[in-house]
Amino acid sequence: MTLLNIENLTVSFPQHDGVVQAVRGVSLRVSPGESIGIVGESGSGKSVTCMAALRLLREPPSRIVADRLELGGVDMLRAGRTQLAAVRGRIAAMVFQDPMTAFDPVFTIGHQIVETIRAHRDLSKSAATTEAAALLARVEIKTPDAILNSYPHQLSGGMLQRAMIAMALSCRPQILFADEPTTALDVTIQAQILHLIKQLQAELGMALIMVTHDLGVVAETVDRVVVMYGGRVMETAPVQDIFDAPLHPYTQALMASMPGRTPGKQRLIEIAGASPNPANPPTGCPFHPRCAVADAQCAAEAPAFRALSESRAAACWRLA
Amino acid sequence: MIRYILGRLASIALTFTVVSIIVFLMMHAVPGGPFDGNDMPVNDAVKAKLNASLGLDQPLYVQYFKYMWGVLHFDFGVPFQSPGETVLQLLGRAWPPSLILGGAGVLIGAPLGILLGMAAALRRNTWIDYLASAFATLGLTIPVFVISMALIMVFAVWLNWLPASGWGKPRSWILPIIAYAAIPMATYARYTRSAMLDVLTKPFVTVLRAKGLSERRIIFQHVLRNAALPMVTVFLPMFIGTATGSIFVEAMFRVPGLGAYFVSSIELRDYSLEMALILMITMMFCVAYLISDIIYALLNPRIRFGDRK
Ligand SMILES: Nc1ncnc2c1ncn2[C@@H]1O[C@H](COP(=O)(O)OP(=O)(O)OP(=O)(O)O)[C@@H](O)[C@H]1O
Ligand code: SF4
Ligand SMILES: [Mg+2]
Repeated sequence: MTLLNIENLTVSFPQHDGVVQAVRGVSLRVSPGESIGIVGESGSGKSVTCMAALRLLREPPSRIVADRLELGGVDMLRAGRTQLAAVRGRIAAMVFQDPMTAFDPVFTIGHQIVETIRAHRDLSKSAATTEAAALLARVEIKTPDAILNSYPHQLSGGMLQRAMIAMALSCRPQILFADEPTTALDVTIQAQILHLIKQLQAELGMALIMVTHDLGVVAETVDRVVVMYGGRVMETAPVQDIFDAPLHPYTQALMASMPGRTPGKQRLIEIAGASPNPANPPTGCPFHPRCAVADAQCAAEAPAFRALSESRAAACWRLA
Repeated sequence: MIRYILGRLASIALTFTVVSIIVFLMMHAVPGGPFDGNDMPVNDAVKAKLNASLGLDQPLYVQYFKYMWGVLHFDFGVPFQSPGETVLQLLGRAWPPSLILGGAGVLIGAPLGILLGMAAALRRNTWIDYLASAFATLGLTIPVFVISMALIMVFAVWLNWLPASGWGKPRSWILPIIAYAAIPMATYARYTRSAMLDVLTKPFVTVLRAKGLSERRIIFQHVLRNAALPMVTVFLPMFIGTATGSIFVEAMFRVPGLGAYFVSSIELRDYSLEMALILMITMMFCVAYLISDIIYALLNPRIRFGDRK
């Protein structure tokens, strides 16, 4: 069974002077319980892919086209408002990058967790409050009742991100999207939060999509890696293979630029050359202007994303 | 919170004093006095006597303190243009029409404007938005006397449904109130639209959607509540601003309200009435700001519970 099934997803933002092509034909399948890391430099389309999967992008300005976009068996392209609301939070939940702006400033944390629980589960207010306190304890908050009654501005970023995770998990989603969940936090807190997500994922048996710049985070938390570049998937492989035997030239360049595997310090180091401009992407393979082994064919025609083995796939003429 | 209110009360007292001094000085800096009008020539001896009887011959600061001492005892003096009554009696007579006109105008116009602004924000860049925005722009750009004129032409002259002027029967209130409601409606429509759009772009709204809340709950509980925060701070002052600005409408429809006295008290150097009018409006604004700040504090946990440690 496939929990998340994306086939040939394209997301564009038409603008008065052209079209920004944020995602250009991404396919991605995630099975229940699987944990995936999406890596790629800034602007490669990681966040847009996740937001599109939950149909959280405003349409317009965005335009979403796909051969298939299914989450938990629901056709997300054809689902109506209420059906989308039933999937969000229940089948798939999301943890965002900046916990400081993720909560409504005028309501308490407790109110916001309780309303999430009650949106999907038939619980009384007091039962939901008890449940919310239990969730906060579960994300290693030592004074759940105090936090429930706090307003967002009274808490630290680390505390808010824990509360955010508790809220995301409150309806036992089958898949959790975590879009750079630690980027906005202090380095010391980052490791704790990552550890927490990893641990909860294992305990709850849910699938995880971890979006990050940080290859160290990937090494630590996921089973499989999806490498994105210029709105396309370049390579996907089990995490061990990505580090030990990267096949795609872009992945190889990434690995070469990375000194170790500890999270926190190993941000993606920029490789030589400029990222592709999504409003005017290069022809052919998006990586060809920076690729050391590119030839005329690479500039003329985009390579198809094809399976290389049972567990690996890549888009590169050299690997055809 | 108590400290906060006490502080605000002190600053209101200060504002009130400063405004009263400035207005008093400006009033007397304007050349001419109450008995210099051309239509009522008085010889110098009589004028001096009249001035003395009203205390106008005394030094300015004495006049000021005398007047303010009276104000503290709710004695605003006697209007020169209508010496048979006190300023308070005159206000008691002229205020109700203005209050009804301004109050009804705002109470009808503001909610309509808020609904219009909400509709425009939620249906941004659709014909609903364009129509609402066009409506709001018209309300703000067409002078109120043109609106009044149009209403009189259509409903009084052509259709003959409603009286063109006067204030006797409630029927004659309808047109001026409609004319007057246009401004608060337009103002609130614009304000609501931009406040809502501002909140709708906040990241937490995406989080609320990602949690699977219904769009209804997101808008009516979260977005409106946040949009209301900046709105309450301007709502009451705006209410008073619009409710005192009815001079043109009153003139167009010959409503016997305060509007005429604003003009005449300045023209006729009717010092007591002029001071009383301005002091009252100042007081109303001060109180309105105080109340809206308190409401803001009650709605905003950041103020209620202090800032991040
Ligand atoms: N609302 C929008 N309008 C126009 N372009 C957009 C919009 N949202 C995203 N984009 C563009 O889409 C591209 C992909 O953005 P996305 O946020 O997915 O990148 P990302 O891989 O998540 O990068 P980062 O690591 O910086 O978060 C970027 O070039 C971005 O400028
Ligand atoms: S297709 Fe060509 S340009 Fe693209 S990565 Fe492979 S070799 Fe480099
Ligand atoms: Mg991103």
